Amino acid sequence: MIDTKVLDAAVHDLRNILRDGLLATDIWERTAGLSLAGFNQQPVAVALFTRITEELDSSLRDSNFPSLGRYYMLDMAGNHTVVVLNHGKLLQGMLVDNRRANLGILISVAIPRMIETVAQAMEL
Amino acid sequence: MTVRSVSWTDAQRVSSLLARVTATRSPEPAALVSAMGAARAGAPGKAAPTPAKAAPKAPKEVPRLVQTSDNPADRLDALVAWTLAHQACVGAFVADDNGLTLAAHGISEAHVSLVGPLLSALVGVRTIPGVDATAGALWLGAQMMSWVEARTTRGGFCLGTVGDEALSTRAFEQLKEALGTTVRGL
Repeated sequence: MIDTKVLDAAVHDLRNILRDGLLATDIWERTAGLSLAGFNQQPVAVALFTRITEELDSSLRDSNFPSLGRYYMLDMAGNHTVVVLNHGKLLQGMLVDNRRANLGILISVAIPRMIETVAQAMEL
Repeated sequence: MTVRSVSWTDAQRVSSLLARVTATRSPEPAALVSAMGAARAGAPGKAAPTPAKAAPKAPKEVPRLVQTSDNPADRLDALVAWTLAHQACVGAFVADDNGLTLAAHGISEAHVSLVGPLLSALVGVRTIPGVDATAGALWLGAQMMSWVEARTTRGGFCLGTVGDEALSTRAFEQLKEALGTTVRGL
């Protein structure tokens, strides 16, 4: 059971932290691809990053590498950064404008807070 | 009787003269000027007036940092603004323990990034009993960087300043308290 109100609150908190640096975010179920909370939600991105994450996860496993940890990041053209958070049963994508968002705040404040809050939503 | 030659010298007389000369020579040369502040010999019992010591300057009262916002970005900006307003520095920053800048003013991100290896190096130093090593100063070549560190469950955070001189112990304590107040809400 996942408390979607807590997820909504987490998205709200993320928007407060990153302000106009956050362009979009989705939190979705890994297996069903169902989005549970978000801002400026992107269904195509949900499908794409579910597939990329599964490929990455299985490739790492097959190569006897350590498994995927808390998140991975992609630096994309046009000053965009994508962060995919691994919440276990849930995945989360964030599209960030890296001219407006501070990388230090993203990594040391926003991501740890989001991981904690989503974990609380899944405990309930 | 023989007439004394002009060149004749009385050995005894010479010896006595030499003795007198050596006897009057004191082992140490007499001081020509008495030391400053020393009482003059033979002067009446009145002590020389000692110069009035300048009263030590009371340290500037620095108001405590009060955080009014729950927003992490606002809290960090308030911390940097408070530091610039109340400490002797031209730049200030907050970084995480990897050297990533969270907020900064008057210092380049390249300089802030050296906090990462610096804090990593101090982990080893802290293994020495009695060494805290959560604050310090580093000469950058033209300026002095001073920093304090606070640890939370989410990792370490560092508040630093850049100025002509290292901050005082009192200033370090003020920075530690302000950083602690700020990161508690992050």
